[in-house]
Amino acid sequence: MRSRGVSFPGLADLAIDVHDLKKTYRTPFTRKKVEALRGVTFGVERGHIFGFVGPNGAGKTTTIRTLMGLIRPSSGSATLLGHPLASLDARKKIGFLPESPYFYDYLDVGELCDLAGRLFGLAPAVRKQRADALIEKVGLGPARGQSLKKLSKGMLQRAGLAQALMNDPELVVLDEPMSGLDPIGRKEVRDLILELRDQGKTVFFSTHILSDVEAITDRVAIIARGQLQAHGKPAELVSHHLQGVEVTVKLPLPGGGAATPPPGLKTPELHASPVPASIDAALTRGATRVRRVGDELSLTLAAGTDVDAWIARAHAAGAKVLQIAPRHETLEDLFVRQVAGADRSAAGEDHAEP
Amino acid sequence: MIGRIWAIALNTFREAARIRVLYGILVLVVGSNLLAILLGQLSRHEAGRVARDVGLAGISLFGSLTAIFLGVFLLYTEVARRTIHAIVTKPISRWEFVVGKYLGMALVLTVLVGVFALAMVGMLVAQGAGVGSGVVKAVVLSWFEVLTVAAIAILFSSFSTPFLSGIFALAMWVIGRLTPDLEAASRSAAPWIRATTKIALEIVPDVHLFAVSGRTLDGSAVSVNGEFVRWSYVGLASVHGLGWIVALLALAAVLFHRRDFV
Repeated sequence: MRSRGVSFPGLADLAIDVHDLKKTYRTPFTRKKVEALRGVTFGVERGHIFGFVGPNGAGKTTTIRTLMGLIRPSSGSATLLGHPLASLDARKKIGFLPESPYFYDYLDVGELCDLAGRLFGLAPAVRKQRADALIEKVGLGPARGQSLKKLSKGMLQRAGLAQALMNDPELVVLDEPMSGLDPIGRKEVRDLILELRDQGKTVFFSTHILSDVEAITDRVAIIARGQLQAHGKPAELVSHHLQGVEVTVKLPLPGGGAATPPPGLKTPELHASPVPASIDAALTRGATRVRRVGDELSLTLAAGTDVDAWIARAHAAGAKVLQIAPRHETLEDLFVRQVAGADRSAAGEDHAEP
Repeated sequence: MIGRIWAIALNTFREAARIRVLYGILVLVVGSNLLAILLGQLSRHEAGRVARDVGLAGISLFGSLTAIFLGVFLLYTEVARRTIHAIVTKPISRWEFVVGKYLGMALVLTVLVGVFALAMVGMLVAQGAGVGSGVVKAVVLSWFEVLTVAAIAILFSSFSTPFLSGIFALAMWVIGRLTPDLEAASRSAAPWIRATTKIALEIVPDVHLFAVSGRTLDGSAVSVNGEFVRWSYVGLASVHGLGWIVALLALAAVLFHRRDFV
């Protein structure tokens, strides 16, 4: 696992190479110093999908805006495709989708793509051909003639993706691309990102949605309070030590455990007869999480629990074991752990300040 | 580079053409021309002069106010609405963006000045007054005045809020128009006031050069109603205006280049 402040000599061919990037603002009237980025260092290999995750206000968007030349860094350096920040040569090869994109609402998606194509210096025929293909790819064909102000947030996001890909970029930078999309839209964007990777492009995207990161990224970085907390392959970042054991058992209750629900109760499956105390004690001993639905009880047994002994106790109590599976750390666990650690560090620093 | 600037200019033109205030200003200009016909009826044998004065004043006043309005808002809204995020992250320099925005505005203002001038000519024809080369020269000068004022507004808009930018640009326009009067007034003032006024007037664009009805710098009396400036003066004044426009845009580009878009 890579952590903050480490350089990456092992990563040879980097599409994005960021070293000790810092950004400090001053608030308009009080002139109070705000450290948005506090020395961010990471690298993104060419041809990879890189997920950039962090809670709100962590510095994700500031990092991306700095890379895209919208914000000037206070210190530090970065290169994109081997070019320095704000290089026009780099931007010719980069496609960018801003966070919650705002476009000229009087344009339609075709005109938006055409404007992007003009700025990339594409010939009219190429602009038209690419715009047509991309509008179909992002699923906006039926809405092609509508002005952008009439599109939903999800459709705007798709329009933003289309304009970002007009130059057939080598590097695609997407700030919260799944934001505002329904589950089908999210899947389509995930598929599009995978397709871009298959075409040899590098994709760098930020998100809050950890399941998307786990599903498609080659590498991931977690940022919190302006500092990188972890960086590497998702499978390497999470701990491989057993975190516990997930068990589901069927309870030995008369009538399947489901009591007659009171009239008007909409979720009768959650209304169950009480578990006899002896059975409850036998099964929940050593459990860190217990959830019951009807006559099924799901538990997480703490790591180190003697699972054989627990199963024997369950059988003795008349419960039937339906499922048993080891529980390893997930990216969500890691995320929560890292963010909580950053919060504690920040709280410590705040206390230390006079 | 030209293609990118032109793309921004065309987009700005489309954006500005959707601003309903501009159509309100058009109605105001046509209304002022109709008022000029009424005023002309009240004057004896001076209907044509009144029509020309009101028409040209309308072009200068409404054109400059429109230039300030567009210059102040069009650049600011790009930043405030974050539409700029998807633009300046493309292979376009910020100075190209500023110049493109300015050219788009200049295009809109040119159309507006053209419509204002047509309305004035229509009124003059209706009044039976002649439309000589003096009127054409005055319109050309007013056009350059409007373009210079737009550059002033863009400069302030590149680093300030619309409210402050509007006030600063309006102040510079008024001071520029009153330069000869301020110079005359400062002659009898204390030396430090004279020096301060001189410095202040040096850094304000000489928009009074474009309003030549009255007395020009060389002291000769001219009027759009009688003898008017030569084409060589119009040419020199236009080049002077272009110089200011380039300088103002260059400064705006430098300031815009340093901005963070958060």
